[in-house]
Amino acid sequence: MNEKLPLLPKAQVGKGHLNWLLWLIPIAAAFLCAWFVGEDIIFAGPTVTIYFENADGLQEHNSLLEYRGATIGEVGILKLTKDRQRVAVKVQLDASAANIARQGSVFWIVRPEVKLGALSGLQTIVSGNYITVEPGNGERTNQFIGAETAPIKPVQALDIRLLAPKLGSLQPLSPIFYRDIQVGEVLDCRLSDDAREVVIHARIREEYAPLVRMNSKFWNAGGINVHIGLFSGANISAESAQTLISGGIEFATPADFQNAATNDAVFNLNEKSEDEWEKWSPAIPLHSVPEAMKNKSTLPNLKNPR
Amino acid sequence: MEKIVACQTCGLVQQADDVPKGSVIKCARCHFQIFHRRVDSRVRTMAFSLAALIFYIPANLYPIVTAEYQGHHIQTTIFQGISSLFTLHQYFIGSLMFFTSMLTPGLKIIGLMFITLTLDWPHWKKARTWVFKIIRIIDPWNMLEVFLLAICVSMVELGEVATVHPGRGVFSFAAVVVLTLLATLSFDSRLLWDSPTERKL
Ligand SMILES: [Zn+2]
Repeated sequence: MNEKLPLLPKAQVGKGHLNWLLWLIPIAAAFLCAWFVGEDIIFAGPTVTIYFENADGLQEHNSLLEYRGATIGEVGILKLTKDRQRVAVKVQLDASAANIARQGSVFWIVRPEVKLGALSGLQTIVSGNYITVEPGNGERTNQFIGAETAPIKPVQALDIRLLAPKLGSLQPLSPIFYRDIQVGEVLDCRLSDDAREVVIHARIREEYAPLVRMNSKFWNAGGINVHIGLFSGANISAESAQTLISGGIEFATPADFQNAATNDAVFNLNEKSEDEWEKWSPAIPLHSVPEAMKNKSTLPNLKNPR
Repeated sequence: MEKIVACQTCGLVQQADDVPKGSVIKCARCHFQIFHRRVDSRVRTMAFSLAALIFYIPANLYPIVTAEYQGHHIQTTIFQGISSLFTLHQYFIGSLMFFTSMLTPGLKIIGLMFITLTLDWPHWKKARTWVFKIIRIIDPWNMLEVFLLAICVSMVELGEVATVHPGRGVFSFAAVVVLTLLATLSFDSRLLWDSPTERKL
């Protein structure tokens, strides 16, 4: 055995590589996982619970909370409350939307609706229903009562009451026109206390409020008006395609107009207009729109004020 | 003490001196490393399977894919996918998926770790042998790579009709696949029966 050994070449001895470096792999793995968890816990916004009477169309873990078209949260689980009156919807907010979790925020579910001759929430037919929000700025809270419909934005407006024998085709959000320009809308309709009339609660936008005078005349512009005259033949008129479906109200103010109407002023709603009313064209100065309002729609100033 | 060794790369038989700690011997002819057992088998197997075990957790907890189909927002973890198969009464495919993508990878990683961690205790030799047998049995069913491929294919296919974002789960999942593969490649089963002194070279 020993005689053969010198014939064999001799292996070299080299430096081994640093095998402790291998432990960097699990350490890096642990760091990555810690980052996943950290991102979920530290950078996630709060979880809020919204109680809806009807959570129809929401899907667990799939539906989204959107605000101005941006996704700001995800729906977690849906659960029936103990009294079975509402559905508790857990929503995980994004960190950027943590400020939404304040008292006064109103959440509602956007669903497809056919109303007023206009389609709203049309995108939800394909995308599924989603929750949206009108942020409030009260104390922080995690519990909300969901609204059934989109909240009516409180605006500066003139509120009036119209009395009519029948409602006709009017409904909430039916438009109110002055010279075919929409200046207001119907808020709600109900029977009068003695059930002899219909009380229509309507709202005229602030900038058009001076048009409504105590002696203004209102008439129902909805539906189709058919005049059959002996010499003129049949005359079919509808105010617009929209009023044909949803109903609408038109009004006019005489040249010898009286004082501007105040809030909760009451008018009669005539079934149709008289020719004379449509000829009235008094000059009424409208409120000038304040400069601040005009600028509202401009872009926010993104440049640094230097 | 001198030994006679053969180079695994070129087959040259040569003599080797005792190797100081931290050094390796290299072939006189081809200069490749000569080893008695696979290089750093124990450390590599431990490191890779530990990393795989760490990634195994997010791979199962986080969604594999987030798909957006015409505004529908769908997130699925492996487990949700399996349980939805069960609710659809696809019991066979559901259990197959559970075994091949959740159970066997986990068992394999834990088994490899158990073997490499207990190498210093000769008394555990029998347990190590058992674990090794189990790994040998489940290995053909460990079809993580196939599953990952299926996910990738469906992501590409779905990409035509839906917006598909790979979730964190799929990155972790890919990491588990690669690390398990590396751990398997580094593992030298002869270590199982080596006595602690024999493992020096
Ligand atoms: Zn060689």
